Amino acid sequence: MIRTETIERDGRSIAAVLLDRPEKRNALTPCMLEALCEALEEAPKTHDAVVLGGEGKLFCAGFDLSLCKDDPSGGVMRELLTGLSRACAIMRRTEKPVVIAAHGAAIAGGCALLGGGDVVVSDASAKLGYPVTKIGVSPAVSAPFLSYNVTRGTSREMLLLPELISGEAAKARGLVHELVETREGVREKALSIAAGLAGKPPHAYAATKGLLNRLEGTDDGEAFRLALEASLALTGGEEEQRMLAALDL
Amino acid sequence: MPEFATLTTDGSVATLTFNRPDAHNALSIAMLADAHMCMDEIESLAQKDNAPTVLVVTGAGRSFCAGMDLKEVIIEDDPTLPLQLLESLARLTHRIRLLPMVVVGRVNGAAIGGGCGMVTVCDLAITHDDAKLGFPEVDLGLCPAVVAPWLVRKIGPGRARQVLLSGGLMSGARAHELGIVTGVVDSRDELDGAVQKLTETLATGGREALGATKKLLNTLDGSNELDILLEAARLSASVLATEDAQNRLKARRK
Repeated sequence: MIRTETIERDGRSIAAVLLDRPEKRNALTPCMLEALCEALEEAPKTHDAVVLGGEGKLFCAGFDLSLCKDDPSGGVMRELLTGLSRACAIMRRTEKPVVIAAHGAAIAGGCALLGGGDVVVSDASAKLGYPVTKIGVSPAVSAPFLSYNVTRGTSREMLLLPELISGEAAKARGLVHELVETREGVREKALSIAAGLAGKPPHAYAATKGLLNRLEGTDDGEAFRLALEASLALTGGEEEQRMLAALDL
Repeated sequence: MPEFATLTTDGSVATLTFNRPDAHNALSIAMLADAHMCMDEIESLAQKDNAPTVLVVTGAGRSFCAGMDLKEVIIEDDPTLPLQLLESLARLTHRIRLLPMVVVGRVNGAAIGGGCGMVTVCDLAITHDDAKLGFPEVDLGLCPAVVAPWLVRKIGPGRARQVLLSGGLMSGARAHELGIVTGVVDSRDELDGAVQKLTETLATGGREALGATKKLLNTLDGSNELDILLEAARLSASVLATEDAQNRLKARRK
């Protein structure tokens, strides 16, 4: 369900790490997140840049809620939240360029993954956002990653208000950096950007990325830990169980 | 019973209304004291099973809150009044921010200075194009200290710097562009519909999930810290007491 392809562009070797569960809109399972973390850790060792994308019509519809609905103890949700946080942290700390090809839709956990990228590409009519309070889940886990890309005021709005916005609106807010017209064009654009970034002197890129991480507090991990704990605290709880059980899946 | 600020509840939505419409809801010690009483009540309600999910903050009459009451910041008899007012304001903003429910500003009209600070402490806010918002403190020889942390947390340090040093006022549309409010409608008539739609959407979220998210956001952006706000109140009071500020304020009163 996670596939890594090596793609050559302009003489650079790019790892396309792909969510490959298109029949389920790339809905994330604990196994997928574990495999994703492994792929994201391995890919930079042998490639010049990483592009994270998804097969099928859309990037990622979020967590596979059918697994959570059947698990009132909240164990699956905990694995998903932890795996998601780890995947974003791994991407942030990668010294090489990371570009996210978020075509079609990036919802909830799928939207959170955007926080790991140096550059995020989407299409104008894509749907992005965090409708998760509707199922009693707190999207707090995403807060640090979201706050690095948009103002804190905007991240407060996006995490409390369970709505989806367009790719165009996401670009205006800074969540998405580059827009293409059609979702089919997103991956190629992402690969092209990744190749360009990979062409820059690697030590300079790594040093700059490392400094930016320090300025943001990404290297510390304290903010990630607090944010993950805030989301984990609700798992298995009455409200979350009730709202998940009410889902028509 | 609080008179200059009122709290009403309607199912999952509670509303805190600044109630000095003849004075454009200007901040006075009495109004702030009544607002604190309303906060006592809403904080207590928040602990109950059927607690409201959203608190709407708004102003009675044409204005949201037009700034500090000049009568209380022009120093005539009691030089301690300004600091009392500013500390009360600082504490009120802190309480609103820490309330474990989503707070929506219904910015029905002028939101100026401390009044605009109230807008920025809300989690979300909607105004209309013609409303006047802004932080004209520097023009009046004052320092917008208490509102500064909230503005920085809302629109970021770069923009906050530009806005607070520029002073002046802006339209609701411009406030939306800057991120001071999260929504804007064309005319005042459309405001209530927009606020209702927003509160309904917010209320579909689980209360605990919303509360936990807000709490974490507050931890990450420093909202929990009261000391910086009280220090800001002292700074603001000391600048307010200068001859230049007092002269400018007196000129405004005429």
